[in-house]
Amino acid sequence: MTLNYKFIKDFTGENTCILRLTDNKYIPFCDGNIDYQEYLEWAKTNTTEEAD
Amino acid sequence: MTSKIIVNNIESDSGVSSVTFTSDIELGTKNLKGHNLESTGIVTAVSFTGSGANLTNLPAANITGTLPALDGSALTGVGASFGNSSVNTSGIITATSFVPTVGQLSHRNLIVNGAMNVAQRGTSSTSSGFYTVDRFQVNFTGTNEAPEQRQATLTSAPGPYREGHRKAYKITNGNQTGGGGAAKFIRFKTTIEAQDIANSGWDYVSSSSFVTLSFWVKASVAQTYYGRLQTEDGTARNYPFSFALSADTWTKVTKTIPGNTSPTLQFDNNNGAGLILEIVPYYGTDYTGSMSLNTWATYSDRTPDNTATWYETDDATFFITGVQLEVGPVATPFEHRSFGEELTRCQRYFVKMSGGAFIFPQNNVYTSFSFPQEMRDAPTLTFLSGAGTKSGIRVEKDGFRAANSLGPQDHAFTAESEI
Repeated sequence: MTLNYKFIKDFTGENTCILRLTDNKYIPFCDGNIDYQEYLEWAKTNTTEEAD
Repeated sequence: MTSKIIVNNIESDSGVSSVTFTSDIELGTKNLKGHNLESTGIVTAVSFTGSGANLTNLPAANITGTLPALDGSALTGVGASFGNSSVNTSGIITATSFVPTVGQLSHRNLIVNGAMNVAQRGTSSTSSGFYTVDRFQVNFTGTNEAPEQRQATLTSAPGPYREGHRKAYKITNGNQTGGGGAAKFIRFKTTIEAQDIANSGWDYVSSSSFVTLSFWVKASVAQTYYGRLQTEDGTARNYPFSFALSADTWTKVTKTIPGNTSPTLQFDNNNGAGLILEIVPYYGTDYTGSMSLNTWATYSDRTPDNTATWYETDDATFFITGVQLEVGPVATPFEHRSFGEELTRCQRYFVKMSGGAFIFPQNNVYTSFSFPQEMRDAPTLTFLSGAGTKSGIRVEKDGFRAANSLGPQDHAFTAESEI
């Protein structure tokens, strides 16, 4: 399964989490979160879609 | 020549305190009667009768043989003199206090949901990962047909049911037409936070300090299976063990595991992964190798080579329940906890809310929602109902905030912070 991610931002324009588009999971910027750890590995060689 | 003197009284001479006999006095079949019998030597006899009330200074080493039934109501000063022996009784033991030398009287079990009672995600799945029983996952790869993981219900039968277990974690194997292979595996796994080991009281750098693992297990295929513990902090260490099962027979496995200095075990005082427990129906040779069982070693391979009989048996089953890991060198009875208490513990790692998270469409105002309790770390959110991409989602350990451009909606969601 190909993973794709997109930033989610708040009204100030700050990115507040990441949306994993393949299964609509909202992933926090948290080093202890295993989904975020997986995202960091993915992001080493891939680009995250910007927030709307 | 014999002679005989007949008298009725012998007294010492005037000024002499006693009468001295220079030879033995033979009593024959007659008795020596009177007041006190004093001796500076040894008194021997075939038997002694009478009260021993005034016997004193009996050396403990000279009291041997089987003791008769004793009334211990007045025993004093027992202290720690039982040493390493066990005290067994069919009656009741009471005391002013009970003080374990290691471990504790309650909250002994370091495993969360070891009785497999909580299954927030569901009761069956053919996916690999956390999908049924909380805190436990079944992982597999390389299978021809996906095995099923399930929260199984136990019925009246010998084994764990008689010890109060009503649920078990079950794998039903698929039809693995390709047979066992190097990269294939099916396993159970749970992970304990590092801080829960660091704060458990286990002196894990001492080989004379122990934790004890116990669990009930049953498989439809008789063979030797493996399990293992693995540390995560510092250099990973591996502790493999084996257990042999007869087909379709519940067996209680107990393993007493020492701490270790070389190689040193490390558990940081944080919420990261600390100790992994795996119970393994099958590991292919990519994960196995030559190693000693029941000893800590630097992690490389995971277990010795596995027999593939279970893996290659279509619809083979494997059950576990009553998983307990406790500080100390013996396995105590399983620590049953209420469903509510176990659910609360599980919700540190996974929460499923069926509704109640109303998210409103305010441009500059966000709806916040608190989790039932603080989670291990900021979780991943998955919305199960309520349309539209949420904006401004910020997730913390204790809750999240969000807005929704499509209007106010009641959202069901899950929050997952597993390790």
